[in-house]
This record gives sequence, C-alpha cells and structure tokens, in this order.
Amino acid sequence: MGQEKTTLGSIHISPTAVASIAYHATLQSYGVVGLAPKNLAEGIAVTITREPTRGVNVHFDGDQLDIDIYIVVEFGTRIASVAQSVSNTIRYQVEKIIGLKVHQVNVHVQGLRVSNPD
Amino acid sequence: MPKASFDGLALKELVEAGLAWLRTNQQTVNALNVFPVPDGDTGTNMLLTMQSAYAEIANSGQRNAGQMAAAVAQGALMGARGNSGVILSQLWRGFARGLHGHETIDAATLAHAFAEARDTAYKGVVRPVEGTILTVSKDIAAAAQTATTDDPVEMLRIIVAAADKSVENTPELLPILKQAGVVDSGGKGLFFILEGMLRQIDGQSLDAPLISVQPLSAMNLENALEDVEAGQDWEVVVDFRPKNGFELRSFYEQLESMGTSIQVGEGEGMYRMHIHVPLENRYKPIEYVMELGTITKVAIENLLAQMDELQAGTGAPTLELTNVEAGQIAVVAVSPGTGLSRIFASLGVSALVAGGQTMNPSTKDFLDAFDNLPTDKIIILPNNKNIILAANQAKGVTVKQVYVVPSKTIPQGLAAMLHFDPESDVEKVAGKMSRALDSIITGEITVATRSVEIDGVTVREGQVIGLLNGKLAVAAETVEAACLQLLEKAEAVTYELITLFYGSDLSPAEANRIADLLQKKYPEQEVEVQEGGQPHYQFIISIE
Repeated sequence: MGQEKTTLGSIHISPTAVASIAYHATLQSYGVVGLAPKNLAEGIAVTITREPTRGVNVHFDGDQLDIDIYIVVEFGTRIASVAQSVSNTIRYQVEKIIGLKVHQVNVHVQGLRVSNPD
Repeated sequence: MPKASFDGLALKELVEAGLAWLRTNQQTVNALNVFPVPDGDTGTNMLLTMQSAYAEIANSGQRNAGQMAAAVAQGALMGARGNSGVILSQLWRGFARGLHGHETIDAATLAHAFAEARDTAYKGVVRPVEGTILTVSKDIAAAAQTATTDDPVEMLRIIVAAADKSVENTPELLPILKQAGVVDSGGKGLFFILEGMLRQIDGQSLDAPLISVQPLSAMNLENALEDVEAGQDWEVVVDFRPKNGFELRSFYEQLESMGTSIQVGEGEGMYRMHIHVPLENRYKPIEYVMELGTITKVAIENLLAQMDELQAGTGAPTLELTNVEAGQIAVVAVSPGTGLSRIFASLGVSALVAGGQTMNPSTKDFLDAFDNLPTDKIIILPNNKNIILAANQAKGVTVKQVYVVPSKTIPQGLAAMLHFDPESDVEKVAGKMSRALDSIITGEITVATRSVEIDGVTVREGQVIGLLNGKLAVAAETVEAACLQLLEKAEAVTYELITLFYGSDLSPAEANRIADLLQKKYPEQEVEVQEGGQPHYQFIISIE
C-alpha cells in the first residue's frame, strides 16, 4: 500500500507501519487505557493488548486510507470527547508522518475500564 | 480571622470565580498552543468544560460541599471538550471523590481532595506525558500534602503558588515547549482556575487580564491608531526572540512604565511588542527588549504624521466587524476587496479572511480566524468555488462547531447574509443561508487572459468577458458592452434589483457612468453602485 514512484525507485509503506503510528498516537491520548483486539469471540472478556497491530485495522484500497481502531476507555471520562481526540490525533500523526491523506478514522470503543467506582 | 472551612455555597462561588478568571485569560492560554492542530485550542476547550461544570450548579443551593463538588464533576464530565477538557473533568471527578461525605472543606480535606484529583487524572492515560496539566496536578497535590496550615484559604494560597511554579517548570520537562519558548497551555489553564478562586477570596478583579498575549496572526496594529493619546505619538513595534527565563509579567510591567497601547503577540517562539511612547522615549523600548533577547525587526513611526496621511487620504471609514459573544453564531466570510469587506461587516460578519479568485486563503487562515472568535458556533462563507475546499478542511480540523455555506460567488454570500440570525440554532441558520444561495444571479466582468473558446463563446486575449453564475457567457470590446450583453443574457428585465460592485481597476466616476447607462437601458429595475475593491474584476454584479 501507500506506493510512491520516484526516479530512483518506489516507496512502499506497509499497513503495519501505519497501524504502529496509530497505536502510539492512541496511547498518548488522554482517556484511552488500552487497545482491545478486534474480532473477539462473543463471551470472551475484552482484554487489553500490547501488540501494536492488534486493535488497529488499516485498510487501503489504492486511493483511500481508512483506519479502524478498537479502544478501551477509562470509566468516568466523556467517551465522545475521548474518541474525538483519538480520531484527531491519529489523523494528524499519520498525515504528518506518512504524508498520505486519511479518509476515515473509525473509533470503536470496545469496553470501559473501571479503576474507581464512584 | 478567615473562615475555618468552606461549605457548598462557598465552593460554588469559588468555581464561578475560577471560570470567570479562565474566561478573562482564555486568549493567553490559547496563545500557548504549540501543537499545530490535533486538539483545537486548550483555553477554549477548558473554558467550555468549566462552563458546563458551572451550569450544573448555577441554580443549586446545596450547602453540602461534597455534594456540590460531585455536581461540578458531573457537569465537567458532560461538557468535557478536547484532551485538556477531559483531563480537567477527571481532576474534578477525583476532587469530588476526595470530598465525598464531607459537609465542609477544611485545609486537610482540601489537600486530600487534590491528592485524589491527581490519582484519578493519572489513571486515565497509559503513557502520561510529563510537563503537562498532569504534572501540575501532581505538584499541587505534593505541595498541599506537605503544607502544615489548617486554614483552607492559606492552603489555597500555597496551592496556587505551587501551580504557578509547576507551570513555569513545564518547559524543562517537555522539550517541545522549550523549543517554542512557552509553558504548557493546559497547566496554565488550571493555574488560572485556581488563581481565580484565590482572587475572589482576596477581593481582586476577575475581569481584566493582567497581561494579554494574543496569537501573532491576531494582532491588528492598524486599529491601534485610533486610540493615540496626546503625547504618546510614536509607535514602536519590535519583533524578538526572547532568551531563556523571559518573564512575561515583568516585561509587561516595564512596558507599562514606558507608554500606552501595549500589545504583545506571540507565535513560534517569537514575540512582537507594540507600544505608543512619547518622542523622548522612542528608543527606550528597543533598548529594553535588547536585554531580553535577539531583536529581529524594529519599526518606529510617527503616529501624528500617519494620522494626517490617513485623514488626508481616502478618508475611508474603518472596518467595524460585528462583535460576537460566547454562545452566539459568528460568520467568517472570505472577501477579495476592502469595499466588499465593509459591506459584509455591515451585514453582521464577525471575521473576514482575505481571498478571492487568484488568492485562495489557506486552511490555516480560517483556523486563525476561528481562534479569535469567542464562540464555538461558526458559519463560513467561502464566496468562491475554489475556496470551499479549504473551508471544509478547516471545518475538519477544528473542535469548534463549523458549518460551511457553500457560496460560490460574492453576491451569493451577500444573499446568504440576509438570512443570518446570530441567536438562532446554528444548523437551522446554516440551512436557511444555504437555501438562499440560489435566489440570486451573479455576473462577473473581467478581462480575458488568453484566447479560448468555451461554451460556444469565442474570446480573444485582452477582450472584456462576462461570466454568468461562473460560466463564460459573453465577450465584448468594452466594459459597458460586456455589462449590457451580460444583463441581456441574464434576462435582467424579469428581475428587480441590479447591484454593481466595482473593482479596484475602475474609478468611481467610470463605474457611475456605466451604471447610469444601464439604468437607462433598464428603467424598470433599480440599479445600485457599491465600491467592491476587488482586484481583476471590473464588476461583480448581483441580480435579484
């Protein structure tokens, strides 16, 4: 994906690289306590993953770059604001680092972590 | 002897004071933003969060401090905006937890509540970045815990001092702040909230900012001309890069001792200072700034001479944009010329971005315009089909609620403004304005830059051409011939009002001559002439 042709050859950017940027951008966003792997079988509790590419899904069809991210949010934060921040940060970081326009960032809140029940 | 404890009502008063002081200093906080886009303006986000927090308790008569704090936390949670807002709401949540079950707040509970606030805030993020509002909350809690006073007012004073010190230290922890030569904006916002509380207790004003710093892009030095005071007739503007340890507050105080009309702008590690001083002092500010850092540019002007020129010159009235208040809707319009800017301003536009056919404004120009509006409801009128894209991009990267009314021409933009209502629901207003776009016909008269044949019209380079709703319609040898042909094509006889906006290439006399000609040809219609000031286009014509 993400091919660019120059006179010296071409540049490929793998989806893993994009996923990795999205992963790090997300973990720096306030309110996100972790990423949760997608496609969890029903009934299994949401677990937090430490692997950069799990919990992030990058899709590139040669024209549009879409990113899906699956997160666990701290209980007691305003989820809409946190998701909005995550989406803004990912878009900004990916566009800045890779230079590719991001078409969509879909943020999926997979669960809440309750550290302090009020 | 101060009160030994705060109850719920006292807490409410403090929250209101914190909100008021943050609002007063909102632009100072916004100006500290170093990250170009991702999260909008910290000051605005924190303010909106605090506003929501206060709205929750505005009508409450709750005397129980714990329950009052819980209501504040609830309000902050519901209104949290952006990263800094979410963190602030978490701080309130922890603070409220620390006060749970306490009817009143004494010094020890206050210290405990700030410790809870810190713990709760730190739990909300996997990788806490130090040198931010989080660090400030940590330093506050530490200072409160080691303090020995049993007077809550004294405790608050210690906390404010700790916050101030912690904020000043943030550049040491976060390199990006040091590079930009600023302190952390979120931390500064928290400091203002706490300081506002203390100022309330001390009976100090919450309305006037101590120092006002604005983004460089927002500095409007032309307008400063109006308030020239007798004796202060030299204007000095200095751009400089401050050395480490630059202290804005003492800088401001020094300037105040030299002159008036002080403005300080800040951006990308650079400062711009503007001041009016008497003749004998005109080199003093420059010498002073030289001690503080590296000067990159100096401008000294005699204001009285400047004023004479201004008055002798065009005598053009100054542009008066419509003031907008928080909660109201503001319109940002793109205008290619001074005359059109004035017309837009008179119709209620709050901010103008210069741009037009050959000078498309950037997304950043729009963002700068948003920055300076104290409201988060904004409607953009791009007034050119090539600018709609930049406007939409700006909408995508700001946290403010922005609607783009896709006006492709100036007359469409003006037509839309007639349906503008700042108090109404922003989505409805934008819809109404969008529907108004097609109610008007736009004609444009310009000179062809190359020979071409489009839409069945053959044009030679240098000929005068007329465009109807953006499409090439007529070509002629003179401006008046093009106008006549264009109006015919537009079936102007079936309309009522023809307005001509003449461009900078045309003299008013010439414009009036052509208007008289058109009026003779169309006696049934009303023909109006207005100064447009746009480049390249002799006329922009609206037909309605």
